[in-house]
Amino acid sequence: MKWIPKFNSSNSLRVIFVIAVFILLFLSSIGYKHNQDLNESSKLVMHTYEINIQLERLMSAIKDAETGQRGYIITRNDRFLSPYTYSRDKVNTSFITLKKLTADNPKQQENLQKLFKLIIQRFTSFENCLKYSDPKTYDKRKLDNHMFGGRILMENIRFKVDEMNDIEKKYLQRRLKIYDQEISLSPVFSISLFLAALTFILLAYRQISNDIKRLIVINKKLLISSRLMSESEVIGKFSTWQWDLDSNAIDHSDNQYRMLGLRPRQFALDKDSFLHFVHPDDKENVSNAITNMGIKKTLPFVYYKLILPNNKLRYFKSTGKLLTDQHGSKILLGINFDITDEHLLNIELQERNKELEKSNQELASFNHVASHDLQEPLRKIQTFISRVSDADKAALSQSAKDYLDKIEVSAKRMRVLIDDLLLFSRTNTTKKEFLKSNLNDLLENAKGELTEVIDEKKAIITAGKLPKLDVIPYQIEQLFINLIGNSLKYSQENINPEITIECEKIHSYEYPDLLEQNIKKFYKITFTDNGMGFDPQFKETIFILFQRLHSKTDYPGTGIGLAICKKIVDNHRGHIIADSVPNQGSKFTVFLPE
Amino acid sequence: MKLFIKFDINTICSLFLKQKLEEEKMNFTTLGFGEIELDENLSVEALETLKNNLGPFGFEVVENQKSVLVQKIKDAIIELVYMDDNNNFKSSVFLAEKLNHSYGYLSNVFSEVTYSSIENFIILQKIERAKQLMLVNEMSLTEIAFLLNYSSVAHLSTQFKNTTGITPSAFQRIIKKRRENLK
Amino acid sequence: MQKNALHILLADDDEDDRLFFNDAFEEVRVQTNVTFVHDGLQLMEHLLTPDVKLPDILFLDLNMPKKTGKECLIEIKKTEHLKNIIIAIYSTSSSEEDIEDTFIEGANIYIKKPSDFNTLKKIINEVVTLNWHYHTSGLNRDNFLLRLK
Repeated sequence: MKWIPKFNSSNSLRVIFVIAVFILLFLSSIGYKHNQDLNESSKLVMHTYEINIQLERLMSAIKDAETGQRGYIITRNDRFLSPYTYSRDKVNTSFITLKKLTADNPKQQENLQKLFKLIIQRFTSFENCLKYSDPKTYDKRKLDNHMFGGRILMENIRFKVDEMNDIEKKYLQRRLKIYDQEISLSPVFSISLFLAALTFILLAYRQISNDIKRLIVINKKLLISSRLMSESEVIGKFSTWQWDLDSNAIDHSDNQYRMLGLRPRQFALDKDSFLHFVHPDDKENVSNAITNMGIKKTLPFVYYKLILPNNKLRYFKSTGKLLTDQHGSKILLGINFDITDEHLLNIELQERNKELEKSNQELASFNHVASHDLQEPLRKIQTFISRVSDADKAALSQSAKDYLDKIEVSAKRMRVLIDDLLLFSRTNTTKKEFLKSNLNDLLENAKGELTEVIDEKKAIITAGKLPKLDVIPYQIEQLFINLIGNSLKYSQENINPEITIECEKIHSYEYPDLLEQNIKKFYKITFTDNGMGFDPQFKETIFILFQRLHSKTDYPGTGIGLAICKKIVDNHRGHIIADSVPNQGSKFTVFLPE
Repeated sequence: MKLFIKFDINTICSLFLKQKLEEEKMNFTTLGFGEIELDENLSVEALETLKNNLGPFGFEVVENQKSVLVQKIKDAIIELVYMDDNNNFKSSVFLAEKLNHSYGYLSNVFSEVTYSSIENFIILQKIERAKQLMLVNEMSLTEIAFLLNYSSVAHLSTQFKNTTGITPSAFQRIIKKRRENLK
Repeated sequence: MQKNALHILLADDDEDDRLFFNDAFEEVRVQTNVTFVHDGLQLMEHLLTPDVKLPDILFLDLNMPKKTGKECLIEIKKTEHLKNIIIAIYSTSSSEEDIEDTFIEGANIYIKKPSDFNTLKKIINEVVTLNWHYHTSGLNRDNFLLRLK
């Protein structure tokens, strides 16, 4: 199994930010510590230098005292004595400062104590020199001793000061060395940490900018689709609503308000205010439908009428479906259609249909009754004529005999016409009982009906294998009789009629005429003859009732035969077409659904 | 419950006639279907009684010689039609040999008495047999055409249609529906 | 061919047709005895009269007042002592539906009224002959179906 990290963008962003913040906090704490260390060491340096300066001051004050004392000894002028007098104060001040500065260092304190002793000894030596240089108490040997002793003390003082300076310097160097050691590691570490933090932040930035781009695209799409939705609602005359089952709130789309003749969001539309618009006849129905929808979580199509504020009647259709979103909350989504136009059109269509059906029925029954009832008197006429015996005829004049013959011919013609008409009307009126029949048998029956003509014309009929289909057997037999009969009737003189019947299974897409039907597979049965054919321009009209291409004296017929064929094929939801090359033959093609 | 019973009308008739004649206490020999030789000659009254006794059961004593011959021709034809292996017989030859008369004579007598031809009667009987085979034995038209020596199914169908005015399939359909109606 | 005259009954409301029918039977070689009734009610009355001689063949017009031929047919086939009568439908209709229906209801013969007197005679001859064959040659009457045009 493949493991797919379930990080969505906001989660990963959060992680990146937390890491980055921690790194930065760490970095700043390191920086703070370094700062602290630096401060410390600069203080240390300052401290060292201050001690150094104070020691130098101390030294210079002593030197000032020494210089002033020498000048006084040489010149004996009291003015040279004033630096010496001040230097004692200066020495004391520096000494106090030094004592404060070295308070944390016992070794320096000890050194300072020693230095102080040396300085006191030096000043004692100064006093002694002054005493022995004074002319009053002048003692050359003692003065020299003390001058010399003063110089050694001076050297000792210098030595002590240098020693103290050295100690401070060493101490400083040691501290700086530790500091350097500490600080030398941190730059690489902090730069790499900083870079890591930067990378994280950059990554986060990229993620954010990607997310934003995506959001913008999605937002745009959403805007378009919501706009599209509201526009299509207006155009398609429908509205949508969402019923949140958890909060029991219903939210209607703007078009719902428009369809009710209101301004969008004129007021909050709920069940009761909606029912207010429903026609009293349908109120209970709609109310029940809404209640049931809450229980059954689905809404089968409901049809109802609405009365708009302007008192106009509209027909509506509604349906709904339960949707569950990713958070598991349940929403019933519903659609209301304004089907007024369709409804009115439907009513009109139904009425027209009824009218048409009625007039069709009337026509058919008229046709049937007319032809049926016409048969009776005609049959009588014919029978009575046939009863006029040859003996009777002999007694008649020639013209009377001719008239009788003409009456007989006309009556015969009328008989054919009525029979054909009856046949035609019957293809409409008889119950359409479809039976699985073998078309080969029906073709045999048809040929049997036509035996006489076939024999007389010495016709050759070749038939391929025909299928077994659900058909109205008489009608298909009649179809075969009519088509073969037609070919026999319009055969060419001096040529024996040849009729070829072929059959193949085809798909409706091969023949665009068949596409209107919702049937995919057809049997195509062709009747090809070598007869006189007809002008192809009549290939459509040939199937119209009473259409004749030949005068009735040349070819007796009523012009009903092919119309019957068409009717029969229509009854079977099939299709019939004719084509011909004059003087070469015609081809009738029948398509019967599988 | 409904039963379809296949029966041979000839056997039934022969048996029934035998039984009736035995009831009348007559000595007789059966010569063939419909022909009986009595041992003694009957008086006019006795013959009349016999006729009256047999009448109600559909038996009729045929007196005319020609009628007797016609009855013989009919029997021979039925025998021919119901023979299962009749391929080798031409009906005219068969009848002439069987009845010892020329076919022309037989044909004339038959037409004179029945107003129809021997050929028509043969066809009628063949179609009758075809009907039986169709309904009782539930044979297909192909099988029947073969059994009754027709050159093709079409030939049988045409003859069936010409004789009865309806097609074999319509015939089957009608009888089937009739039986359903009776249920 | 028949010792006793063939008893024929025609139920038809049309006077001319009865006339043609009668004339045709007169010209048929078979000795017959033709009776007429004018409608379905009369027919049933006649057939149900006690001790009436039942016809050998009943010719029945379908389109009759008071009781149609088809109603009569069904009634006859339901009546025990009448159901064996040979029934020939004699009608103007040549609708396949009518034909098959009447056959199913038990008719033996279907004749479309011809429009020619000679045809009528021919048809009547055929019916009578065939009926006689059925009567005398051991043919199964249940399978007796004949359609004449």
